[in-house]
Amino acid sequence: MILKRIKIIPVLFLLPSLLFLGVFVYIPLIQNFYNSFFDFSVFSQSKEFVGFKHFIELFNDKVIVIALINNIKYAVISVIFQVFFALVLASILEDRLFRKFAPALRVIYFIPVMVSISVIALLFSFIYNPQMGLLNSFLELIHLEELAKPWLGNAETAIYSVIAMSQWQSIGFITMLFIVAIQKIPKELYEAAEIDGAGKVRNFFSITVPQVKETMFVNVLITVTGSILVFNEPYILTNGGPGVSSMTLSVHMYQLGFFKDNMGYASAVATLIFMLSAIFAITQIRISGTGKDD
Amino acid sequence: MTLVNVDKSVSAVKESPFSKFKSRWKAKLTVSGGLIYLGLLLFAFIILYPLYWMFISSFKSYDEIYNNVWSLPQVWHFENYTTAWSKGISSYFVNSLFVTISTIILVVLIGSMAAFVLSRYRTKWIDIALIFMIGGLMMNPQVALIPLFEILSWANLINTHWALILSYVAFRLPLTIILIRAFFLSVPKELEESAIIDGCSEIGIYLRIYLPLSIPILITAVVLTAYFAWNEFMFATVFIDSTDLKTIPSGLMSFKDALRTDWGVLLAGMVIATIPMIILLIVLQKYLVRGLSEGSVKG
Amino acid sequence: MKKTYWLLFSLLVVGILLGACSNEDEAQGAEGDVVEIDFFHRWPNEPRKSFYDDKIKEFEAANPGVKINVDQVLNDSYKEKIRVLVSNDELPDIFTSWSDSFAENLVSSGRIMELNDILSDDTEWSGEVLESQFGGFTFDDVTYGVPFTVDGKAFFYNKEIFEKNNLEVPQTYEQFIKALDELQAAGYETPLVEGLTNTWAISHYLGTIFQRVVDPAVLEKDYAAKTGEFTDKGYVRGLEIWKELTSYMGDVSTAIDHEAARNMFAAGEIPVLYMQFAEVKMVQDASDFEFGFFNFPEVEGGKGDQKALTGAPEGWMLSKNAPPEAVEFLKFLTSAETAKEFTTVDGQLNAINGGVTEETSNPTSLEAYDIILNASATAPWFDNAVDINVADVFMRGGQDIATGVKTPEDVLQEVQEAAKKLH
Repeated sequence: MILKRIKIIPVLFLLPSLLFLGVFVYIPLIQNFYNSFFDFSVFSQSKEFVGFKHFIELFNDKVIVIALINNIKYAVISVIFQVFFALVLASILEDRLFRKFAPALRVIYFIPVMVSISVIALLFSFIYNPQMGLLNSFLELIHLEELAKPWLGNAETAIYSVIAMSQWQSIGFITMLFIVAIQKIPKELYEAAEIDGAGKVRNFFSITVPQVKETMFVNVLITVTGSILVFNEPYILTNGGPGVSSMTLSVHMYQLGFFKDNMGYASAVATLIFMLSAIFAITQIRISGTGKDD
Repeated sequence: MTLVNVDKSVSAVKESPFSKFKSRWKAKLTVSGGLIYLGLLLFAFIILYPLYWMFISSFKSYDEIYNNVWSLPQVWHFENYTTAWSKGISSYFVNSLFVTISTIILVVLIGSMAAFVLSRYRTKWIDIALIFMIGGLMMNPQVALIPLFEILSWANLINTHWALILSYVAFRLPLTIILIRAFFLSVPKELEESAIIDGCSEIGIYLRIYLPLSIPILITAVVLTAYFAWNEFMFATVFIDSTDLKTIPSGLMSFKDALRTDWGVLLAGMVIATIPMIILLIVLQKYLVRGLSEGSVKG
Repeated sequence: MKKTYWLLFSLLVVGILLGACSNEDEAQGAEGDVVEIDFFHRWPNEPRKSFYDDKIKEFEAANPGVKINVDQVLNDSYKEKIRVLVSNDELPDIFTSWSDSFAENLVSSGRIMELNDILSDDTEWSGEVLESQFGGFTFDDVTYGVPFTVDGKAFFYNKEIFEKNNLEVPQTYEQFIKALDELQAAGYETPLVEGLTNTWAISHYLGTIFQRVVDPAVLEKDYAAKTGEFTDKGYVRGLEIWKELTSYMGDVSTAIDHEAARNMFAAGEIPVLYMQFAEVKMVQDASDFEFGFFNFPEVEGGKGDQKALTGAPEGWMLSKNAPPEAVEFLKFLTSAETAKEFTTVDGQLNAINGGVTEETSNPTSLEAYDIILNASATAPWFDNAVDINVADVFMRGGQDIATGVKTPEDVLQEVQEAAKKLH
């Protein structure tokens, strides 16, 4: 009796999760890979096998190159702001000098993380608006009119404007992760350093940075993976334009699939995205050790 | 990660670890300290001002938004909010609420059940199941978009709320399971033994011991799920076409198209969409921090 | 004890499963002898959404036993959605459709109702629909749609500004450029703007320009996906014209949408804007000056049709499986009475006799109506006329030309590559 129950309950309890993950996460992944070898459209049930055609096409697609470069720009800038700047910010906030204001500032910096990306993107389309936008109005206010631009309409500034918005939104999140990590550093380390008369800058490099190395690595991976996948921000703000100047891999994939009805090739782009992000995700799971903490 | 660990980090967020040196260091507030302080305030200003502008401008008329970018509204158009509400935001709001709550219930229920088994049993199969769940963290919605669209079309679920709920649940489960499992691992075995003596079944142990004990981490899971489901954009855009079924993130985009240039009303809609999350942040702040500290994974 | 938990648990599970299914049950449940009509249109925005909601109520009140389920999605999603529905054989009973290639694609599915008999059986109703507008819905002598709204694209110009600067309405492209130059000299830095973030706005320009400069036979060949090459010199000329026009649009155009451009026109900030007649009412509501129209001017030496008007009607189609009540609803939607009310409320012109009169409209709109009725030929919207893969390259290329990133030759080469892939 007891034996029977023990066997049935684990299965019963695990089944829903396994089903959900299987049907909505793993099967789609395999399906996507399979789809990459076919030509098909949203409206037809029939798929035509085309072998590696789409993967070869990936190498001849100029938009892929532009998108990849934009994703890399996204990653590099995000790492600089969201990892290095956020770490500095976090250690400043954790310094006792700013103890009084830190809790309030922490919440303030975190607010954009909670705001929906569509709200933020619409808000920034007001900020970047060439006629009444906050940014150009502000430049006018401080007599730097010559710097004013149609930020999102200029092929050179569009992608950077999108990236800037992402930084604005995400710094608070990474800062919070660093704060949590810094708080786990044993206080004694700082106390000992202080007795030795070490300055704050030195403490930062000799204690904080080495102690949060693991978190830092994880944060780098989070931001890089996020940059490879980025979809919402460029899609809402510029839809990849003007031309294809602010295209990213995910936006390209979306447009190929749902706008140009080229589902097979879009799947191949998705496979590329998966490969790129999987490399980073595997490293991330390895490092963060989520799987081996028992 | 243990229970003790979690509590320490949470309380530490409130109290700086350096409090006992406070007096000695206070005198050292130097020029550079002042500059940094200014920098922090400036950064806070950069974060807050756009949101403040959104709030203030949501009371303005189109002409004022266009012509008086910086000023306060001359006439406060409170009716922007009633217009936004009646012109669609109310239905997006209700849809978002339904999708978010359904997702939360399913994720927490299913996730905690799985976490329960994964934390209490050790066999080869359980290990495989665990890897299967953790592996889900690696997958991303972008890659699943097209096949999911196919699967959901096949099941006739496209353009229903279930298309969103089911996909959200699937993509939130791995993180939730890992979070809750880590917590369950720290539940003392003695409690369980006494429960068995009392005649509780497995389900009894799950319902009467594990769930009540882990309410804090369940709240964390609720917050993280709520944040995700309330704000998710891509699935919401692709899986739902019908204006009456849209959730706030995708609804705002059609709201914008439908309004033409009624910017004040659009901004009012944006404020309405934002407020629940800000309230949630302020009320449940510490659970969110715990989630970040526990999970150390993307939100 | 144990049993209670089991019971609770199974209840929970069943509850969830039931919850998950209840949606579909509802949709399938037939209620007595009520006939349900699925109605799908593309106007979730006002005033049209309310207009159709009211019409549905009116029809339901007059026809007890008929229930109309309405759904609406905007523009691009509508295109996508209707294609999915047609391929899954789940077409709504009555829905809106563009003319020409869009309609042709739907018709090729074999799932659209043929309307010839219905039209000839009730001439009292069908006789009131403008004969000339049926063309875009008729394929191999079979009519599949009833046109309702009519539209056309023309340059709107601010009459006051033109008068003040002694400008005549340009008849040729050369005169047009001269007029733009003079306006620039008169202080209008960007005499022409456009919302270039809306790529369809670019496609409207390009479609008309090609209509003027490319031989119609070449266009017909190139617009078909299987034979499109886009190697004719006319396209380079066309893109150069586009480039020249964008030089009058200024930086600002690259970052705004068409709506913002319209607001600038309505505010009197810019003298000329390429708009649809459907926008007349919006401009009137927001402006306090008189404006007129002129068709895209003749291009000297262009091999195309110099007088064609870009713009096409939109109308209603029925699914093959639609119940007879849906036919009645179609007649109701295209009746003279509905048409009058429609133009009064919405301002857009329609294809029903007596729908556009001095009573329901105004002199400006009537002038537009005249242009539509007298056009030598109509050219469908470019983004509907060519394959989307080609159109997308043209539209994004159009942005790149405007921002100076690419030359017309660059863009055309990309177009040729994209066109080749479709063969």
